[in-house]
Amino acid sequence: MILMESQFDNTDENYWNRSSRAAFSFDDEDDIDLGDVGARISSGPANQNDKWDNNAIFNDDTISEASFDNSAALGTLNHLSIKAILSDEALKLVLQEQSLDDHVMPKGVTPEEELKLMRRQIQSTLYSPNLEATAQKLQHGKVAPLELFKSLLEKQQLLDTLLANGGDAVIGVLLFLKRTLNTNQFHSILQQRPKALEHYLSYLNQSGDISLYIEMLQRFGRHQEAALRQFQAALACTDVVTRKQQLKRLVDAYATAGVGIIPLYEQVFHAALKLQLVKEKETITSGLSQQLSDQPTPIELLYVCCAQNKNWKEQDMLKLTSPQRFAADQEISSAQYEWTALNERAHAQAYGDLECIFVRAPTWHSLKSKKFHISFDLALAVQRLFELQAPSTVLQLFLSKMNNSTEKLALAQRVKCVKAVIDAMVSMKQQQELQQLKETLPDRSEEQFYCENALKSLQSKRWTTDNIKLKL
Amino acid sequence: MDVTLEKKLQGFQLVAQEKAILCSIPGKKELILEPELIKPLEHVCTASWLKLKGIQRIYKLDTKQRLHRDDDQVHIYMIRSLLGTLQTLLRQLQPLTLATPTESPDLALRMVHIICVPSCYAYFHALLEQAGLWGLVQLHHYNWDFIYLDQGVLSLELPNLYECLYLQGNTSALPSVAQSLRLLQMICGKPMLTLTFGSHAGQLVQLMQSLGTVPEPTNPADFGAWLIIDRDKDYASSLLTPAIYAGLLLEVFQLRAGEIVIDNANNKIRSQKLQLLQGKSDLKPNTGKLNSIRLNSACDEIYGDNRYKHFAQASSLVRAQVKSLSLELQKLNDMQLEEMHDYVARKLPKLTELKAKVLRHINASEIVIQMLGNFRRLQTLEEDILNNVSRKRLLTEIDELLTTDGQRYNTLRLLCLLHLCAGVAPEELQSLARNYCNMFGHRELCVFQQLAQAGLLPVLLPERKTSAKLLSNLPLPKFQQTEFQANANRLKLLTSCADADQPAPSTSAAAAAATGHAAKQSCPSFVFNGTYIPLAAQLCSILLNANSAEQLANKLAMIDGLQLHEAGGQPSTPKSFATQLKTPDILPLRLRNLFVFVVGGANYAEIAACDLVARLTGTQITVASDALLAGSDLIAAAFNN
Repeated sequence: MILMESQFDNTDENYWNRSSRAAFSFDDEDDIDLGDVGARISSGPANQNDKWDNNAIFNDDTISEASFDNSAALGTLNHLSIKAILSDEALKLVLQEQSLDDHVMPKGVTPEEELKLMRRQIQSTLYSPNLEATAQKLQHGKVAPLELFKSLLEKQQLLDTLLANGGDAVIGVLLFLKRTLNTNQFHSILQQRPKALEHYLSYLNQSGDISLYIEMLQRFGRHQEAALRQFQAALACTDVVTRKQQLKRLVDAYATAGVGIIPLYEQVFHAALKLQLVKEKETITSGLSQQLSDQPTPIELLYVCCAQNKNWKEQDMLKLTSPQRFAADQEISSAQYEWTALNERAHAQAYGDLECIFVRAPTWHSLKSKKFHISFDLALAVQRLFELQAPSTVLQLFLSKMNNSTEKLALAQRVKCVKAVIDAMVSMKQQQELQQLKETLPDRSEEQFYCENALKSLQSKRWTTDNIKLKL
Repeated sequence: MDVTLEKKLQGFQLVAQEKAILCSIPGKKELILEPELIKPLEHVCTASWLKLKGIQRIYKLDTKQRLHRDDDQVHIYMIRSLLGTLQTLLRQLQPLTLATPTESPDLALRMVHIICVPSCYAYFHALLEQAGLWGLVQLHHYNWDFIYLDQGVLSLELPNLYECLYLQGNTSALPSVAQSLRLLQMICGKPMLTLTFGSHAGQLVQLMQSLGTVPEPTNPADFGAWLIIDRDKDYASSLLTPAIYAGLLLEVFQLRAGEIVIDNANNKIRSQKLQLLQGKSDLKPNTGKLNSIRLNSACDEIYGDNRYKHFAQASSLVRAQVKSLSLELQKLNDMQLEEMHDYVARKLPKLTELKAKVLRHINASEIVIQMLGNFRRLQTLEEDILNNVSRKRLLTEIDELLTTDGQRYNTLRLLCLLHLCAGVAPEELQSLARNYCNMFGHRELCVFQQLAQAGLLPVLLPERKTSAKLLSNLPLPKFQQTEFQANANRLKLLTSCADADQPAPSTSAAAAAATGHAAKQSCPSFVFNGTYIPLAAQLCSILLNANSAEQLANKLAMIDGLQLHEAGGQPSTPKSFATQLKTPDILPLRLRNLFVFVVGGANYAEIAACDLVARLTGTQITVASDALLAGSDLIAAAFNN
């Protein structure tokens, strides 16, 4: 009965969530909310700290109405009266504008004045409409009768006056015009006034009348937007069968409508339909379901495909859910494919498969020798593998592909891959650094041997003139 | 008694209370609030105040379930002026039409009321009638006007204005903004000069005039000039990642009515990424109570000290403060008993409170550092985009970011910035958009059209299958400047393009920091690490430094859409303004304080830059807007459709 559960995460508004079944009531003086406040005011140091967390003012029952408890600045407002900042006249005006209609007769007027007022009202309801007065009233947000604007010219004038300054009255008047003009007239008015059309479309969109919205877009030649809306509506269908049907209809209609095709739209429409078909044919289930949304994105599905793929050496291209096939069908870029597969495989700790992903023969010539190829910055791959706690042999493999030794050294140090550090130092001939490094490594560890060997190999190559000079 | 400007601005709260429609409705009242209204409403009144006005209980509006009402209770619903919300509510209230009609003759005695914030649109009444609820439910409107968030910062807290105005072309919310600005005129006086930039800004001034004359304020006027600027005239300052503390807090944490919630598990950056590709995430969802920071220097001195400082500086200052605090607390150990008594009674509560605050800031800034990851890379990328350095690489780099660190809003934000500064061709958008849809789902296809509507991305045009296709596809080099670049050059907003020739300052961190520090003293571009001056700040300093109308006209010449309005006069371009001006010249401004209003969401970089200009010129600049938005919030607006 009492509606306290929120669809928003308002965990900080402690008061709202304190009880999901009880509203905040001022009568419950013993309520915890107020209890908190009471304790706080008694000013123990611990409670002082809570002051901040409790700054939802609805908790607060102890302070002057004009200010926040926790705001020193606003606290001073106690001494500020509204009269000091706003003249009586202005305040009266503000309050007057607050009311929605001014039909209410002010109290205490003389009969003569009342007669005058009545006359003016009759004038404005029975005879010619007063454009200026009506427009101003509408702009003030007051209710004004529009029925008097009968001729087309008057209607147009009213709309144009309001359009110049904008405001909600534009939509109000448009709805009035729609009611009192036939479709042709109404549409020709919209046709001539793009701004009015925007307002009307915005109204339709917000009102949730999607079919009329799409119809209007098409009528006014905005076919691409209409197609987008249809696409969006199709995807929003909860029923899988209707979703597929609508997508199919859209794809066909878009290709044949003869209103021009935006390649991007066409591709995405197709891809969405294909995705639907894949989901239908192959049941993609996985333990990841709790991490996936109701309508997973292509990349998320690719991730699932990767998780399910057994054979990374030679992927079965006939199977719709083998990662490479799926990526090709969905036109997933090679970088996206590699990145997703890298993350999934590393997450599954199947590091051996990484080689299959990155070392491959060029597709156009299968006889050519296989090569290491990566479609994004190697450093990013190393960094991510490190974050996913890949073993240092894997890191070393990727680091070994880096050409720039300085960068390689820095990165290897960052991801604590000692062997790659040694490799980089060797390629930069940093003998002294290597020596220092060796001393920090644990005795008889694999890394120490590796380092020793590296040092030896460096020393054996000591035939350059520089080195000879140095050593002799 | 003289009332200071700050006091007057805080006084909006009093006016808002005075206006509160809640008070005039009689009966046993229960208030049902749309959840989003709660935080801003806390700035208007307290619970005790509501109780005083006869509200017995407060509920949150639940769109799924109707609240039961006893016969003698009056239900007051308070919602935002959104058609969708109103429709849902009216549907919920349908059962009222089935009940036996007990219609009261008096309007005020209705049992159900709906208050729309900030205004009740005229066509809402028609909807009420159509729903058969006329006579049973009474509609009202309530505008709380400006909410004083912090010293020099006002907000109307209208979160969807940007979306309505710039994406849908719907101006429905403008009159309420004009009314609030008019109220400001009643309190602080009319300015001698109003400078508007953009069509909505112009409309606002027109609307204010058509609302009628303003009664003279009781106090002398405060502002010498007003600047009203459309958001789309300076997208760059929203799209660039700010380098200042307040700005970065907003990049990472959700802001609600001047308060951020430090929720690491659901912070703004994390929630933009695909969960599966986040790498190692050992974060447990937060179960405990979350801390929050109020971005108000009066109630958080640590925020007040650091809000507009460079983030690196701010976070090291906060760290230093923690150290000195714990030293202070350690003193307790070496004290005599009597001393200790005194200390515990007087100093300790303050110190512990301060310590809690500092720790909150430390926590927040650590999350910021963690979330922004390779901040230097991002800044270099943004700087290159701004100055249009090696365009081809920029696109590839954005694409790589999308693949390896895809963020729903921030990746698009970079692309929008690129379009603004260098122009993205439709063909270039194609492949990136394709990858984007792969990443975030096909349903996001509409976003590209929405952003094109706002001028943030190129419009995609259909291909006609004709022979002319071949010709038009030939890549002709274009040396056209974008409108942004033209204006930025005229107003000298780009401050780093000259430095581009110097031996790569970005490679050495120390050098960059050093130049940054030097610039910090004098140039408002410090908010973007010395690359860009927010338009608002530049216009403020031009206005404050102009000695004559002619000088102003020279500085502002050639800028399309910029207009000057003299008090009560017609709008004119700066040039004709200078020629028409009667003596005496109103420049230099005698009243040196400025009021800046951004139509469609201000950002903290702008505010901080204006603050620096104010300090350099010894003036006060108040920045107000309908909402405070980080760049990602701006892009997020395009996803609402």
